[in-house]
Amino acid sequence: MLQVPEASLTPLLPILLVLAGAISSTLLGFWLSRRTLTLINIGTVVASAVSLGWLWNRDLSSFGGGLRADHAALLLGFVILAGTLMTLLVTLDTAWRARVSFPEFDAMLMYAVTGCLLIAFSGDLIVMLIGLEIMSLSSYVLATLQGSRRAEESGLKYFLLGAAGSAVLIYGLAFVYGATGSLNYAAIAEKTSTLNPDNVGILVGGALLMLCGFGFKVALAPFHQWTPDVYGGAPTSVSLFLSTVVKVAAFAGMLRVFSGALENVPGWHSVLAVLIAATLIIGNLAALRQTNFKRMLAYSAVAHTGFLGMALLGTPAAGGAALGYYLLVYTLMTAAALAIVAALQRSEEGFSITDMRGLYYRHPGYAVALAVCLASLAGLPPFAGFFGKYLVFQAAFQNGYAWISILAALTSVAALVYYLRPAMLMFMPDRTPAREYGLGQRPPTTLAVALGVAGVTVLGLLPNLWYAFVAHPDIWAMLAGR
Amino acid sequence: MNSFTDWLPTLMIFLPLLGSLLLLVTPKTFRDEVAGFIAALTLGAGLAIWRGGGSDLFRWDWIPPLGITYSVQLGGVSLALALVTALMSFIAILYAARRIPNPGPMLSLILAMETGLIGIFAAQDLMLFYVFFEDALIPALLMLAMYGKSGRMAALVKFAAYTLFGSLLMLVSIIGVRYLGGSPSFAMTDLKQNLVQGSAQTWLYLGFLAAMAVKLPLWPLHAWLPDFHEQNHDSGVPDVMGTLYKVGGYGIFTFAIPLFPDASLELRPILMGLAAFTALYAAWIAFRQTDWKRLLAYAGLSHMGFVALGVFSLNETAVIGAMYLLAFQNLYTGALFLSVGMLQERIGSLDTRVGGVMTQAGALSGLTMALWFASIAVPGLAGFIGEFSILLGAYQVSPWLTFIAGITTIAAAAYALTAFQHTFWQARPAGSVTVRDLVHTEWLILGIPLGLLVLFGVYSTPALNLMQPAVRAVLSALGGN
Repeated sequence: MLQVPEASLTPLLPILLVLAGAISSTLLGFWLSRRTLTLINIGTVVASAVSLGWLWNRDLSSFGGGLRADHAALLLGFVILAGTLMTLLVTLDTAWRARVSFPEFDAMLMYAVTGCLLIAFSGDLIVMLIGLEIMSLSSYVLATLQGSRRAEESGLKYFLLGAAGSAVLIYGLAFVYGATGSLNYAAIAEKTSTLNPDNVGILVGGALLMLCGFGFKVALAPFHQWTPDVYGGAPTSVSLFLSTVVKVAAFAGMLRVFSGALENVPGWHSVLAVLIAATLIIGNLAALRQTNFKRMLAYSAVAHTGFLGMALLGTPAAGGAALGYYLLVYTLMTAAALAIVAALQRSEEGFSITDMRGLYYRHPGYAVALAVCLASLAGLPPFAGFFGKYLVFQAAFQNGYAWISILAALTSVAALVYYLRPAMLMFMPDRTPAREYGLGQRPPTTLAVALGVAGVTVLGLLPNLWYAFVAHPDIWAMLAGR
Repeated sequence: MNSFTDWLPTLMIFLPLLGSLLLLVTPKTFRDEVAGFIAALTLGAGLAIWRGGGSDLFRWDWIPPLGITYSVQLGGVSLALALVTALMSFIAILYAARRIPNPGPMLSLILAMETGLIGIFAAQDLMLFYVFFEDALIPALLMLAMYGKSGRMAALVKFAAYTLFGSLLMLVSIIGVRYLGGSPSFAMTDLKQNLVQGSAQTWLYLGFLAAMAVKLPLWPLHAWLPDFHEQNHDSGVPDVMGTLYKVGGYGIFTFAIPLFPDASLELRPILMGLAAFTALYAAWIAFRQTDWKRLLAYAGLSHMGFVALGVFSLNETAVIGAMYLLAFQNLYTGALFLSVGMLQERIGSLDTRVGGVMTQAGALSGLTMALWFASIAVPGLAGFIGEFSILLGAYQVSPWLTFIAGITTIAAAAYALTAFQHTFWQARPAGSVTVRDLVHTEWLILGIPLGLLVLFGVYSTPALNLMQPAVRAVLSALGGN
């Protein structure tokens, strides 16, 4: 007789809702317009976010601990859904112009989000890997979907490097399994808390290989090289999705694996510190030289990987809280900035920084919003980016990585310069004709931008609205599910 | 405890910001009046605090999990500087409304910056101080971007890069001060009870100094200053606000000395040397300037060298003098920038080699000259009391460095009077335009600061009474130096 496996589906609810959106896009695409599908997806994303609230404080798990709806999962899931919502709002306006307005686009997007949520909810390495692959494969398609030379090139680059990254990651995963005999985070954490000298070599090797694999996914230098080409070449709404939601999910995976399962494994901290230092220097200095605004934002996303990574150098309690706060803020400000680019660009290449001259006198609302986003990205108070930066500085500083904090402070000066230039150009009077898309302002994009700007302003003035949720140290001590 | 007086500093801080936002929705015809009214109200709040003898410490837990508090207090030195800020902002608004075409954004930015500046002076929590410190930067940048001249982009980037370079190092220091000292929060009251000891204190002090030295500015971190002033709008209004932004001396006085007492004593000779050098070097460069704004920028730099000398000497007389100079330097340098703006409006140039303005615009020339007298520390004007006290106090610590700095006063007279003579006295070039004398509010704009400079130059007791206890309290952290 066929036995139905007994599994609690309740903790899966947020994932299932998003998956339902993905499947409905796949099937209903034959009958409904893409716009309707996107609206349905917005509905499922909101429902999924509500279900996160419903699962709060229940600490459920499923599949023998393979999938956990603990606080960390719910908080990271919320960040992922926030980014998704903003992406969907932007695609309502710009997908048609970007020539990706067909149901498959929405389906792929929602599959990717399903994968992202799986990573955040993962309780063992296999679930994490499955989520990561669902996310990655969908992202490769998303990056290629436009059907232009640039999009194809970027998609191929993304696929080849991403596949190599995945292979390294799986290799590392196998090492970790070999050293500990388990794939479950909790079991790995337990095994590694008393290190057996015979296995330490394999374990460290596995941890470092996994670090490389994740390095590809989050764009840590020197594994970042695909980022500017992919973010720059893909349609802007896809760049928005890749640089926020996908990155948040990859960081969620890193947090689970490194701050949770492999917390006690030696070696990876110092290697990560070196990679972060390289990322901060390379990302910030390369961004300084960009003339295309979209490409500059791509490099700025690399630089922000460095800041986000600093949180992993902290203790899980301090680092997890910092990462939880920073990821939401990063999503809001990056998504809002790219949403404005998507709305105002004439072609999918984005626009050049010099074209932004006088934007304030043509589109005052968008210009002010973009200025707020850039100020927040640069880490200027009173916007939330400042507290994000402060928290990761503090997390690294407290755990003995003062030099990284100082390095990050110094590279932030370069960051300020490249954020400042476009921000100030927008306010300089200009008499030449406008170079941006004239019909750029549409309600859904404006709503997405408003969400982002209101988010970074409110979270900057009252950080505790979100930080109070993520600040509880118990949340991050339980990352591996002990 | 009266709850209303507790709220007064908060009111004074945020009233201008509120006004700045209000201006965005105010119809064009009433904009000047609304801006002026808000600025006057802010000044009134400041005077009310002064009348009540300063405010008590107001503390509210802003972000409890991070130990960041909203602690503000206006009393002593901080109140004096806040009052000057409020007054000069009011005067800047008065002038901007008349002088700048379509002044809406400018008025908004002046008010927004006023909030940041008063916040800097009122903050009694290191993180809050940092937040206001950076906040004041944004309107300054926007003023330069929106109203600046052709070379503004380079000036802007330079200004921002220098500033952020310093303040981000300060941020790391701030984190270090709390964690290495083990304080439960960033409030000054807590931090003072949990001082960092040993060599770590010196390192943290250096991080803190990086930010303050840029703001002071202290050689070799001063390069942004002349470009910033030169590229700003001709009217001189942004320069007034920029002058108010030089809060480095105050930051060292209020935060660095109490938090790093051993390190300040240890580094005193080096820092005093740098300060004395800055004062002399800036005066030397000022002498060679032919652009009024650059000249004023270097003159301001020279004065700031004096302020730094006074603060770093850690001597009571000198520190009081430094704070006195810091407050009144804002008055005369600010007013001088505005008089330069008036001159530019009349002759269309900022060049010092104009000649003969005195013959047609007697009042403008006279008031400008009187303001220059205040600037070069002529007795009877407020600048003198500040400079004299600094020299008197610093002499007890380091006679030679004080002597070097003292030469500056002679140099100041040389560069100021030479430039003044070129512009206002020399023969009028044939065929030049007629220069109109002061009209309407311009009298007030130059007259009010000058009046106060004379008042506090002759009768300095009220200001000294305000500052002396605060200085004593801060210097007591050094353990009876």
